[in-house]
Amino acid sequence: MKGDMVDPRKEFGKAVTEAAAANGRIVVFSADSGKSSGFADFVKYYPDRYFECGIMEQGIVGMAAGMATAGKIPVFCAIAPFVTARPYEMVRNDIGYMEQNVKLVGRNCGITYSDLGFTHQSIDDFGLMRLIPGMVILAPQDPTEIDGAVKAMLEYEGPVYMRIGNPKIPVLFDEKPFVIGEGSVLKPGDELTIISTGSSTKCALEAAELLLQEKIHARVIGMPTVSPIDRELVRTAAAQTGRIVTVEEHFADGGLGTMVTEVVSDMKEVTVRRLGLPHEYAITCGSYEKLLEYYKLDAIGIAESVKEFLHTSA
Amino acid sequence: MADRKEIAGLKLKAALCRKNVLRMVRAGGHGHIGGAFSAIDVVTALYFYKMNSDPMNPKLESRDRFLLSAGHKCLAQYAVLAEKGYFDKSVLDTYGKLGSCIPGHPNMHELPGVEANTGALGHGLSIATGMAMAAPKGEGRYQVYTVTGDGELPEGSNWEAAAAAAKFGLDNLTVFVDNNGLQISGKVTDVMDLSPIEEKFAAYGWSVKIIDGNDMEVAVDTLDKLPLERGKPSMILCKTVKAKGLSFGENKVEFHFWNADMDLLNQAERELDEQIEDLRKEVEVLQ
Repeated sequence: MKGDMVDPRKEFGKAVTEAAAANGRIVVFSADSGKSSGFADFVKYYPDRYFECGIMEQGIVGMAAGMATAGKIPVFCAIAPFVTARPYEMVRNDIGYMEQNVKLVGRNCGITYSDLGFTHQSIDDFGLMRLIPGMVILAPQDPTEIDGAVKAMLEYEGPVYMRIGNPKIPVLFDEKPFVIGEGSVLKPGDELTIISTGSSTKCALEAAELLLQEKIHARVIGMPTVSPIDRELVRTAAAQTGRIVTVEEHFADGGLGTMVTEVVSDMKEVTVRRLGLPHEYAITCGSYEKLLEYYKLDAIGIAESVKEFLHTSA
Repeated sequence: MADRKEIAGLKLKAALCRKNVLRMVRAGGHGHIGGAFSAIDVVTALYFYKMNSDPMNPKLESRDRFLLSAGHKCLAQYAVLAEKGYFDKSVLDTYGKLGSCIPGHPNMHELPGVEANTGALGHGLSIATGMAMAAPKGEGRYQVYTVTGDGELPEGSNWEAAAAAAKFGLDNLTVFVDNNGLQISGKVTDVMDLSPIEEKFAAYGWSVKIIDGNDMEVAVDTLDKLPLERGKPSMILCKTVKAKGLSFGENKVEFHFWNADMDLLNQAERELDEQIEDLRKEVEVLQ
């Protein structure tokens, strides 16, 4: 129900477990990470399809690829940098280059591991994963989309990286089929377009409400598939509103904002402002909410950045 | 168990495969011949004696799998696959050429019989472990074989896979460590000494055996004994000679990668032709 607060990891684990009932090819790898990834029920119901390997992410990615060559659908979920940055070459070669049907899921993504420091935050995963040809990148925006994205990714034949957060997130949407590669207009507007992904979309929608109070009509596009990006939707919005603001819990360089910029780079009179984290290691620690505020990725911060952008790009 | 005639036949196959390697080196002008020649006897024995493999049906679900963790030794794999009939031998003449389906490290999408895109070292054992994990328990259970170099063993991912393969009791997995003792920079024991390799695998829970990896009779006898122990993966430490069969290059690190001198290449081919002729006669005598 809209507004309900749901643990994204539990929603993810539940969705995989439900899918596993109908599809015996689905197997799960754990790097001492399964229970924290919402797989308690999976372990209980499908112990023969659950492989606890301990903390060895490089090995697991290779093993998952090997299993996929024989028709299995391995799902490997752990803290986001440990399934992306840590085993990067294995993801690139064993899953990407070998075109294997492996599903990598980075949890506690973005800055949701706010006080654990840079090692545990994942603000480069979009950039890393998008450079692997054929890698689909998903960042569902609410619990309903997590459920749909899990089903879609398990039905899709090919490599997928999905990122989910850690703290509870509100239900924003009614249930609908998740289509890989499609974004959607969540709120109409004609002065500029805010494009966001993952849990940032909640803040983007709230920011649009704040802006509306000041009679600024911002369109909001939710982009739960980061790659391949919905080019048509982006270009249409760019043509109609001219100004685009992207929002993501990621470096402002190299992620969604960069991809949006690439898509509109040949369009005249289109300007893009990329909101995210600065490209540096000096990421401040603190509570998740405080970090969002500090980096101006909460609703108030986004609204302020939008107003500044409107002012400077006028 | 193989009789003398079968052993002689396998030696002949290995010689023919070495000749195939030279054909590729001639086409491309270069190649990782040292490791290809040290490992080729075991790879030949696997394909021509042991494995359930069908060149006409390379994707058969129940096939045994072979993958080359040390992907730079791929000339050996290409040579054996060609000899086995997975593709026409004329493909060997494309080595090093634009658009060739036999690149310097194997690509499963380009060539039938290649099971994994190896070459970045330390990947193969993990992939092989996953393949072995996916095998059915009863009917249709297949075997997975992989060859690693001794120089690639310091890659930590090998030991991640070693731990997992033992934990999951994968007695359908065998790794052959091609212990030719040399890598680009020199002796493996000088670069990063992991000896005793067999004790390390044993400590991880593997069943281990040391053999002369260039002795066909010994290799075949070892293949007959697999798995070495029920419920455990097997590691065969193959003591081999780098560039084995290249009279002027044996045990020389310069032949890890050979920019072929044409006179020497001609000499190597002549020597192999003589060896092939002798082995043919031996096989005929044993008819």
